[in-house]
Amino acid sequence: MKKISRWLLLLALFALVFMAACNSDGEDVSSESDGNADDSSESESGDAASEGGDGEISGELEIQYFVGGYGDSWWKEVIADFNEQYPDVTIVEHAGPNINEEMRSRWVSNDPPDVVYIDGAGSSEAQMVEDGQLMNLSDWVQDIELENGDKLVDSFLVDPASYDGDIYTLPLVFDTWGTWYDKAWFEEKGYEVPADFDSFMSSMGAIKDEEGIAPFVTTGQHPYYFLRGVLYPAFSAAGGEELLTDLITGAEGAWSSDVTLEVMKKVEKMQQEGMFDSGLGALNHTQSQMNFLLHDNAFIPVGFWLPNEMANDIPDGFEFGFIPSPMQDAGEPFAIVPDLRPLAIAENAENPEAAKAFVEFVFTRDYAMSFSEHTGAIMNLNGVDLSENPNVPEYLTEANAMINDPEQVKLYNKPHPMSADLETPIGNNLLSLMLGNMTAEEFVKAAEEAAGQYRSGL
Amino acid sequence: MWSVRHIVASRSIYIERSDEMVQSKKQKYMFLAFCLVPTFVLFSIFTLYPLVSGLYYSFFDWSGASDNKEFIGLGNYVRLFNDAIIPDTIIHDYFLVVTKVIGIMILALFFAVALTQLKIKEAPLYRIVFFFPNIMSVVVIGILWMFIYNPSLGLVNSGLGFLGLEQYARPWLGDENWALPSLVLPSVWAGIGLFMLVLMGAISNISKSFYEAAEIDGATKWQQFWRVTVPLIWPQIKICILYIVITTLNGSFVIVQVMTGGGPNNSTHVMGSYLYQQAFVQFNFGYGAAIGVMILVLSLITVVILQFILRRDKIEY
Repeated sequence: MKKISRWLLLLALFALVFMAACNSDGEDVSSESDGNADDSSESESGDAASEGGDGEISGELEIQYFVGGYGDSWWKEVIADFNEQYPDVTIVEHAGPNINEEMRSRWVSNDPPDVVYIDGAGSSEAQMVEDGQLMNLSDWVQDIELENGDKLVDSFLVDPASYDGDIYTLPLVFDTWGTWYDKAWFEEKGYEVPADFDSFMSSMGAIKDEEGIAPFVTTGQHPYYFLRGVLYPAFSAAGGEELLTDLITGAEGAWSSDVTLEVMKKVEKMQQEGMFDSGLGALNHTQSQMNFLLHDNAFIPVGFWLPNEMANDIPDGFEFGFIPSPMQDAGEPFAIVPDLRPLAIAENAENPEAAKAFVEFVFTRDYAMSFSEHTGAIMNLNGVDLSENPNVPEYLTEANAMINDPEQVKLYNKPHPMSADLETPIGNNLLSLMLGNMTAEEFVKAAEEAAGQYRSGL
Repeated sequence: MWSVRHIVASRSIYIERSDEMVQSKKQKYMFLAFCLVPTFVLFSIFTLYPLVSGLYYSFFDWSGASDNKEFIGLGNYVRLFNDAIIPDTIIHDYFLVVTKVIGIMILALFFAVALTQLKIKEAPLYRIVFFFPNIMSVVVIGILWMFIYNPSLGLVNSGLGFLGLEQYARPWLGDENWALPSLVLPSVWAGIGLFMLVLMGAISNISKSFYEAAEIDGATKWQQFWRVTVPLIWPQIKICILYIVITTLNGSFVIVQVMTGGGPNNSTHVMGSYLYQQAFVQFNFGYGAAIGVMILVLSLITVVILQFILRRDKIEY
């Protein structure tokens, strides 16, 4: 008996020691790597100083970028060019459609990559700023110039997001959500391209009767597509940037306001008249886009990634047409709410000098042009004339011209992306409304409650 | 000092060894330690450590994406009790538990009896066919069934159309009322095989003489099933039920995540998928950890209750 208990004691002791070791190990590793991080950045900057003496950039530069609908060919080109100009820099790319998940442990353990392009599932600019993971670029960005000497800060299409007056991210990709249709099909069948909400409804009504399909589709698995693609412009057109800001920040009374209810009534009307695909609740991102391409539906609200992402599945004769989501009343200009995908430098970047060099290198009008060629989307710099470039798809030049014509389209900026804590419950209720399980009144009530919970931090 | 102890120890071994055929105590303990220590170490790393750290993180306000965390005591648990979605996720979980237990046990038992006692010639083939879903990844099963449920191309709706029952066709996974029941079918389909094999093993261990005796006494097949088969395979049935309950509470997350992502409007969220959404989509890792603790507590309570309900004396004839 004594021996057994002695063994048990030994076992328990062993376990304790082991767990303690595990624990201290964990701490050691992080503190060690912290130390390393400091060391290496010191030594690298030291090296840099000793090597060139004139600010030569060298060392390892880690870049994290999400690869989604825009592909990665533009990134490859930029990185290759950068490497040519800075041969002493070894670039490590962390890229892919799941890169945000894959790199999470690096961010948690305070060993982040140097440069990060914030886009795609699992990334949140607001959260990263809140967690203090990004470098404050407010002062540095003032000195950046484009190739012709224009100041970068004066050359953005949309200014960087401001967090209490500070800049942590530089908006790289100017995406905007709008409503897509098949231009060739519409021309052939003589369907009207909507110009406002009334013509939107009449066009959808005609398609519904003629084709026997539900004209409008979106992904129900991600209700925020409808929120960002249709409702943001609708709210902006109805209540301006002020309303949009209040809704995104969850300000008291914004969701239950009359203007909001009026917009939601339009959505309710779309539902009641059978414009929504009744199966949309089950559709994911790709399925909804596929249904659209197959003419199971006629309109879909997504961003500029659509043609590039579905390039292999486009039926013959399909021609992409893009309009800002037509939710405004007759006589009003279209509303567009840009959706920006930013580039940022990690607060704890090991090689901040190279990171800054890279960010500076990327923001040029030449790369903006090549971005549109590679991705079919727009980079967030003004003064880039796409109309003369034959390699840029037609829908993009048209959309670009439209966006730049204040008579037709008005731009509204959101203060920052909506927090997932507010967007999730709103999206869920929105889906219920689109499926006809909720009225517009019930929706605004539920949304106001969600905003209340969001404000109280629950 | 060491040498003295060493000598004493080696002498004791010598003395014990002289006792032939009996393993020395030290050897016995060495063997025990050899078996237990590695397992215990692995158990500590992969079960105890995550368990304790999950509990630890549930006391923090932490996004899960940085190294900033703030101790908030029971804040996450207070939030848990105020969250209107939590009760729904619990109900959904137990809905899946109950329907899966009933569905899988009835079908698995039926197939097991059919394949062992009805002398079907193709029994080995059916055994393989029914077991097949078990070797498929749940993710594959989920995607497969998404196609089956697809509102326009899917087998279910076109099958209903073929039978002239178009009015019953609906977007199964996109309907707030039907999405959760629609998840039961793939879960049951995927689960039958393993339990069928377990029960078949149990049934084939029952001596034929019991059935002969029952037949002579005039018992019908149905009576034989209830009076002979079920009592004699009760331990296996119990294990199957417990296993289904535990795997459902822990694992229904996968099929929900793949097929509906918890939607539409939270109508299919189970505790696990809600945990995932909070921890990794809404960046509330601490709250997610608190949900994890809740899952653990509920699973433990459920298993204890089940043990009590299913308690039944072992029967031997």
